[in-house]
Amino acid sequence: MNSRRDFLYGLTSSLGSVAFSSMLSRDLMAHPGPGAQALHFPKTKAKHCIFLYMEGGPSHIDTFDPKPKLTDLHLKEFTREGEKQSAMSSGKRYYVQSPFDFIKAGESGADMCTLWENLKDVADDLCFYRGMQVDSVNHPTANYQANTGNQFGGDPGIGAWVNYGLGTENEDLPGFIVLPELAHPQGGAANWANGYLPTSYQGTPLRPTGSPILDIQPPKGITREHQRKNLDLLAKLNQSHAEEHPYHDDLVARMKNYELAFRMQTQVPNTVNIDAESEKTKEMYGIGSEPTDDVGRRCLLARKLVEKGVRFVQLYVSTWDSHDYIAKAHGSLIPRVDKPIAALIKDLKDRGLLEETLIVWMGEFGRTPDNGVRGGGKAYGRDHNPDAMTVWMAGGGVNAGHTIGATDEIGAKAVDQVHHVRDFHVTLLRLLGLDDNKLTYYHAGRFKQLSQFGGTVIDDLIA
Amino acid sequence: MCKRIFFILTLFCILPAFGKEPTKGEKLFALKVKPLFAEKCNACHGDDPEKIKGDLDMLSRKAILQGGDYFADEVLIPGKGEESFLYLVTKRTEEDYEMPPKEADQLTEEQQWWIRDWINEGAPWPTDERVALIQEKYAEGVKMTTSGGLSDEWTDRRYKKEDLWAYQPVVRPEVPGKGHPVDAFLNAKLTELEIEAAPEAEPRLLIRRATFDLLGLPPKPEEVTDFLAAWETDKEAAWADLVERLLSSPHYGEQWGRHWLDVVRYADSSGFANDYERPNTWRYRDYVIRAFNEDKPYDQFVREQIAGDEIGKREDVEMLVATGFLRMGPWEHTGMSVAKVTRQQFLDDVTDSVGQVFLAHALQCARCHDHKFDPVPTRDYYSMQAIFATTQFSEVKTNWLPEENLEGMEEDKRYHEMRKKANEDLLASLTEKQLEYEAKWFEEKGLPWKSKQEAKKAGAKPKDLPGGKLFEKPEEFGMERIGRKWQNRFGWEMDRYEPVAYTVYNGKTRPMKNNYNRIAMPKNPMGEGELEETAILGGGDPFSPTIPVEPAVLSAVPGGLEFDVPDTVEGRRTALANWIADPENSLTSRVMVNRIWQYHFGQAIAGNPNSFGATGKKPTHPELLDWLASEFVEKGWSIKEMHRLIMSSDAYRRSTSHPEPDVVKEKDPEGTSYAAFLPRRLAAEEIRDASLAVSGELNTEAGGIPIRPDMNMEAALQPRMIMGTFAPSYVPNPKPEQRNRRTIYAHKTRGHRDPFLEVFNQPGPDLSCEMRDTSNVTPQVFTLFNSEESMDRALAFADRVLEEVDDENAAVTRAFQLAYGRAPNGEELDASLDHWRQMIAEQEGLDFEPREFPTEVVREANEENTGEFFSFTEKLFVFEDYEPDLQPSEVDARTRAFADLCLVLLNSNEFVYVY
Repeated sequence: MNSRRDFLYGLTSSLGSVAFSSMLSRDLMAHPGPGAQALHFPKTKAKHCIFLYMEGGPSHIDTFDPKPKLTDLHLKEFTREGEKQSAMSSGKRYYVQSPFDFIKAGESGADMCTLWENLKDVADDLCFYRGMQVDSVNHPTANYQANTGNQFGGDPGIGAWVNYGLGTENEDLPGFIVLPELAHPQGGAANWANGYLPTSYQGTPLRPTGSPILDIQPPKGITREHQRKNLDLLAKLNQSHAEEHPYHDDLVARMKNYELAFRMQTQVPNTVNIDAESEKTKEMYGIGSEPTDDVGRRCLLARKLVEKGVRFVQLYVSTWDSHDYIAKAHGSLIPRVDKPIAALIKDLKDRGLLEETLIVWMGEFGRTPDNGVRGGGKAYGRDHNPDAMTVWMAGGGVNAGHTIGATDEIGAKAVDQVHHVRDFHVTLLRLLGLDDNKLTYYHAGRFKQLSQFGGTVIDDLIA
Repeated sequence: MCKRIFFILTLFCILPAFGKEPTKGEKLFALKVKPLFAEKCNACHGDDPEKIKGDLDMLSRKAILQGGDYFADEVLIPGKGEESFLYLVTKRTEEDYEMPPKEADQLTEEQQWWIRDWINEGAPWPTDERVALIQEKYAEGVKMTTSGGLSDEWTDRRYKKEDLWAYQPVVRPEVPGKGHPVDAFLNAKLTELEIEAAPEAEPRLLIRRATFDLLGLPPKPEEVTDFLAAWETDKEAAWADLVERLLSSPHYGEQWGRHWLDVVRYADSSGFANDYERPNTWRYRDYVIRAFNEDKPYDQFVREQIAGDEIGKREDVEMLVATGFLRMGPWEHTGMSVAKVTRQQFLDDVTDSVGQVFLAHALQCARCHDHKFDPVPTRDYYSMQAIFATTQFSEVKTNWLPEENLEGMEEDKRYHEMRKKANEDLLASLTEKQLEYEAKWFEEKGLPWKSKQEAKKAGAKPKDLPGGKLFEKPEEFGMERIGRKWQNRFGWEMDRYEPVAYTVYNGKTRPMKNNYNRIAMPKNPMGEGELEETAILGGGDPFSPTIPVEPAVLSAVPGGLEFDVPDTVEGRRTALANWIADPENSLTSRVMVNRIWQYHFGQAIAGNPNSFGATGKKPTHPELLDWLASEFVEKGWSIKEMHRLIMSSDAYRRSTSHPEPDVVKEKDPEGTSYAAFLPRRLAAEEIRDASLAVSGELNTEAGGIPIRPDMNMEAALQPRMIMGTFAPSYVPNPKPEQRNRRTIYAHKTRGHRDPFLEVFNQPGPDLSCEMRDTSNVTPQVFTLFNSEESMDRALAFADRVLEEVDDENAAVTRAFQLAYGRAPNGEELDASLDHWRQMIAEQEGLDFEPREFPTEVVREANEENTGEFFSFTEKLFVFEDYEPDLQPSEVDARTRAFADLCLVLLNSNEFVYVY
């Protein structure tokens, strides 16, 4: 019953060995979780992952995969029908050129639109991948597939799998932390659920405002001393109860959880407090100025959490769903994320942490080269595209400075190095030292895995 | 049907004569290696000629000898097993060359040796005919007759006998010995293990155990006192009376209905992008509760949920409501969905769900291929699915049933209409704005019209009409979108107050654009649309139908192959229901008694109640399971009879403390001997309900439209995205008595779960939950120790006790009795009194202001059209009249200090564990 992982955040075995002073120290012990008795690939560099999730489906055509051919086709109309089409994708349509100019960034000559004013400086640290495809054209199902492997939801999030495999480095923080925006994404918390894995692997959202973790503080007016007294009586009652039931291990585990929680009440706010960071650092992340403040704060927090040994941090930036007026919509979204993300990469690099941190940037799908005529009007946006998208990775073990795979000349479909998202998941696990085929859990009649039914590593994404 | 008969015939074909005796190598190949290749290797190495991994084809000796991309002639070196990679890769010593790749599929050492030894014998590969002959004569294991797999190899494969236990007819075993049959079976095993059973638990623990078990609530102190007195006089009579009293309580159905709702994945919303409310599913929830309370025979319960609409008349409301079961899974169809895909999603969901819920078979495993481990061909999967091919969704108007609770509806509706009205006003103001912009647009263009409508009427050319919306500011775009989406939602949600049944009918599948409203039943179900013809789908893809199939049931289950399901539009589900509810079905009764047993004892006899196949845990007491299954049927499928039976056993009354725990641990390491009773932590709902019961706040009213309890305010107002906009905020009911009802009545939104319940392991409503997790995680402490909800319970608890008694000793004693069902011992009493005094000193220094509740919430959002931020204000009308639970500002320091003690009691292990 009491697995090692329960100790980590669920805590069932003895806390005695962990000195109070080292509660938040790094590298306490990098022990694998129950899913991986030993690291499947011991030579792996990445120990943490920061997953930058661009919810809504960013347009590859307007960010990292320029399609000059669309300039020729711009506004050319056509009609699409068929039983495989949704109401959205059928009917009268027209091609849309990208409103943005592109450059070749870095020595590697990575394609980027000019709005990436900061990211271009770290272009050589990135590995772009243009061959990915997904199954669903709908947001929540595509979100679920990107985040859990299963488009119908209910399965564990990637962060849950990674913690199940790698265990924790910090007993006092959840191993899987989510930094959502104020609003939760479509599909909600099921995007970071533990699914059929034990509850202790669930993603814990750190709230951007209010209490970082729900109810981490007692109601107003209740002091720490006040709480301590209540806790002391609780410990006393629990103690004599435990003596009556000496072989019921859960009792002790639960008692210890109260003590741990009491400590976390002061420690977590310290951990998530970014005020103590230097002004220079804050400026670098774009904190304190718009439009970068929100994403900047969360990117900086992601770095801090990784420093504290959190395995998997997932950060959500939403509203990439630019069906209409993409020039305006993407034109304001890219500057929101550009500076903070570039700062995150630089900062991790300066601290020598980039090598051991895997950064992933992706959405649930890409966008179409064309748009539907809606309400008789043309609004120059793009619909959902499961057949083509761009994702990039940086940091630990990735094939930085390369662009892998390609889409066709209008960006409608991946044509080179084409892989289903399950293969990307397998690759992501591999970069973290885990083998998808070994990271399995018995549920509903079979051993389940992140890739659902197995997949292959996309070798070219790995250095 | 014809195809099935053909299959049976081929099995009886006369086999040709044997010829020369097979060699050791030939036997090894035919009996071990070939089936092993088929099970573990061929899926990637030959079955699909288009996709051969590493270019290594394993379907023939010649092909293997050729090797693949990575190894050539080293793969198979006849005579040299130890050197052949075919053997070496199975040892999994070389990174990246472990085969099969998935670790859970790895070969046992014995299986590895079969390959090695076969190669050492020269790797002979006899013809298929000869293999068949060898297998016929020498093979171990059991063949299963099924409707047939996609390959003969699968059809003819053999199974370990122990993996087929669930397909054996239930034969009532002889009870081993005298006395209570349950004990006789359990004691036989204990004797075998040489373990003494633990003694009987104390009666005060027994009443607590039984009350939580059957009602999910703690016993009242008076009930404990009465029971203890009765126990003194005649313990057997006292116990029997207790069980009867509990079984006749209306709360019994609430507790056991909850178990059922876990299995069927009950929720009040659709999930996915819109997560629309399902305004009438609560009628199914109440149907389930009633079914348990009435002790509806389980076979009838099965029939009603699968085919209520067919076996009842269309006007039989309860029957229509019952088939809501078929639609419990998450499902939606939006403008971005492809109709065939979402239809298939339902068909897959219902097939798998019927499999898991009633038959303990996760049928999804056979969606893309014949089942890897169990005798379930993919043909059976689609034959089962064909039963639902004519099943269509509808929400139909009915009457209310006399037993349905309509209380609170009017008030709920009043607030709902306020929301709706506010939104309509917003939309109206935006329409006005739009007209202003249109007028401006025409003026600037020098055109004579004032509005688009006017221009259209006048026959204006498209170029002289504005395209799309003419808003200028992001909040105009944003609010218009919110308003539109909410108008749609709020409109549909008015169905809450209508007697609508969330149900199905039979007919053609109609084309579907999107589903943003109640689905009406067509006048002619056979009018528009397509009469679905089911076929095996290649790779599970609805656009790749292959072999057509007819409706049928699982062919490996005794009687299944011969069972006739009509292929008429009506009646397919009735046939399925009758087959499932047939006493001869080897799965149904076992599945249900196994579930019942699990909820009583905290562990099932067959450890995976949703999976009786080869990969599921085998029954620890197979004879007991069969005896119970047979008894269940004999007693008319009465669930209450099973409770009486199980709870009257010694095993149920055993203490959780064993005098020799080390002996038990050593002799029964898996803990399946039932030498002692297993303690259990209360389920999420029980923690909330028990706290409310103890605090005196629980309103025990049953049934009706979902209640909305207090939720952590930050979570309640947590903005969350639905398709294209925000979901409306969660607001609790305005009055305490409406909120503080049992948790089973709480609104369950798939995309917005109550963090209090979630943290205590309430399962997500997307997957069927066979057994809840009860892991201990730190956030549980924050919830139970710090939350407003806990504080509210503790304060009400304190206030209640101090209302009831004056004396300080009596107050502490009463609190203990309420929380634990016992008085405090001397030490506890002293510590508690001392604590109370200390906390009075703490509390006297504190000054509490009345809590304020937000009557509106401001949302910040990024507008999708413009990429700019805008804010909007949502009115929370309920909070204008909201009556909070008792607040600290309303009581004195003494009461607040006593509440500190009460909070400790509600957090203590003795409160949250049952022994």
